[in-house]
Amino acid sequence: MNTFSKPLACIALCAGIFAAGCKKEPLNNLSNEETRIYVTQVDSSARFQGYKTFSIADSADIIEDNQFLGRQLGPYESGLIAQLSQSLQQRGYTLVPKASNPDLAVNVSEVSNTSTGLFSYSDYWDNYGLYYDPYYWGYPGYGYYPPTFIGSYSIESGGLEVDILDLKNAAANGNKLKLLWSGLVRGEDIFNPANAPAEAKALLEQSSYIKATN
Amino acid sequence: MKKEKLTSCLSMLAMASALIFFSSDAQAQHSAEFNAGYMVNIPAGAFRDQVNQAAFRGFTAGVAYPVNEQLSIGLQLAHNDYYQKYPRQQYTLDQGTTVSAVLTNSIQQLPVMAALTYSLYKKGVVLPYIGAGAGVNFISFDQYLGEFDNPQSAIKPVFQTDAGVLIPLSKYAGTAIRVGGSYQWAPFHQLGTASLNSWGLMASFRFRLR
Repeated sequence: MNTFSKPLACIALCAGIFAAGCKKEPLNNLSNEETRIYVTQVDSSARFQGYKTFSIADSADIIEDNQFLGRQLGPYESGLIAQLSQSLQQRGYTLVPKASNPDLAVNVSEVSNTSTGLFSYSDYWDNYGLYYDPYYWGYPGYGYYPPTFIGSYSIESGGLEVDILDLKNAAANGNKLKLLWSGLVRGEDIFNPANAPAEAKALLEQSSYIKATN
Repeated sequence: MKKEKLTSCLSMLAMASALIFFSSDAQAQHSAEFNAGYMVNIPAGAFRDQVNQAAFRGFTAGVAYPVNEQLSIGLQLAHNDYYQKYPRQQYTLDQGTTVSAVLTNSIQQLPVMAALTYSLYKKGVVLPYIGAGAGVNFISFDQYLGEFDNPQSAIKPVFQTDAGVLIPLSKYAGTAIRVGGSYQWAPFHQLGTASLNSWGLMASFRFRLR
């Protein structure tokens, strides 16, 4: 047994050293741009050609741990909203004030969760959407269709969320604002003003179905 | 018929016992051997869908006990780190979900195997050998979308065949350089792959333990 005990100890030591030290760490080999992911989800029943006008929030909602903390308009938010607005107009939609009964509402949120786990849009809207957004968009007392979207990744920090809501059919939908599309950006350095246009473009570029005409 | 079978089995058992007895006698003249070396692994088969680049962060180490001058048995382990980063692209998931991300696969395998090595010649400047092993594979598979990890781990069976040459450096001390290649079967049914099979190239140093 003694003959084997030393070499086995050597092997175990080698294994420990190599296993711990000889791994190429993926996170150390990503630039900030590469850390970012863009996730878009669309309601399968949504037909974006049925809408002509849209209005976009004039600032971003700040949500922390499912609590609405207020609205914010800084250089980042301005750049993002401007690019989203421009991209949607290029897709054939007309920008109108929110008081002019737009067909679509575009909401921008900066969400940060300190907990980990699956990102459930249902949880988010259950806690947040039921008391704030309907008022902002001029639909007091309206509820939401609780979305069934669930992100299949873990979340440990903040992210940007852009939502497109159906205002046109709110009454027909049983006095509920239906979430048609949601875009999420996560990763490093998201809220850098220099990155805002690229983030807005990326979300819409992977959603080519959002257009007013076929 | 049954009696003949029984006799045949007993004969084989006796022969095996005799073989082990005489081998044991030979064992007294040999002590255990330790080997350690560097290893490069090249993904094969379905594994190439996840990583198609060679892994240069590998090592192998083991201890073997000579049964006789040509045959040795022992315990062998290896470690290798596979890594590949794919440029940003869009992935369409179910329920109308699209993800744009840089995808990185980071895979570590630590096979621990009972190994059998047979040298084709008893003596020579270069001694060709063949070998086989079977054991368990400790697998860690991290698939990153951007900076977000989807970690998977598993303990699976693993099998290996290998061949190469031993170049003795000393007639009496038992030190030798071992150079060879191997093929490893490593089933793994997670993250859209069926296996983590690989080819291996290895160079190691062997010395005898007193």
